[in-house]
Amino acid sequence: MVLLENDSFLTELTRLFQKCRTSGSVAITLKKYDGRTKPVPRKGHPVNYEPADNKCLLRASDGKKKISTVVNLQHHVAMKLLMFSALHYNYFLVMQLVHLYLVIKGCPLL
Amino acid sequence: MPYYQTWEEFARAAEKLYLTAPMKVRVVLKYRHCDGNLRIKVTDDAVCLQYKTDQAQDVKKIEKLHGKLMRLMVSKESGDHE
Repeated sequence: MVLLENDSFLTELTRLFQKCRTSGSVAITLKKYDGRTKPVPRKGHPVNYEPADNKCLLRASDGKKKISTVVNLQHHVAMKLLMFSALHYNYFLVMQLVHLYLVIKGCPLL
Repeated sequence: MPYYQTWEEFARAAEKLYLTAPMKVRVVLKYRHCDGNLRIKVTDDAVCLQYKTDQAQDVKKIEKLHGKLMRLMVSKESGDHE
């Protein structure tokens, strides 16, 4: 699992969408993140981490490649907009191509 | 768990599930370009709520719910911690 900065995550996410155009799926997971960087220790061992209350973890995968990023309070709006604009671009690009194909097919000159 | 038939029911149940267990709940979006559908799942590993769509207008609703849940996750007014 590659932990990336927000910008790199969005770039890689767009690449995942493009790679999965003909087959496969892209899964994006969102979860609240408490700041842990190590596994939960056994009983009797001290818990050493800086608790965070204003972060969430975004993960994306196409089944083979996995990427992730941590989103803070300051960047969550921008991340959401950019993430869904990447999704819209891939989805609506197909719709536009289909529409264009139907328009050409229905053209009386052909 | 079966898929919800109406968006409103799904959105209400998803938000309610998140508010009961903020640290356990995860939101999964799965996009299949070849089939042209988008699925959203909200689960706490005990209860699983799912909704799927191939309609463009539902994508906006999914975006809104996803943004709302993300805002709840990053805001400082949190629920219980594990």
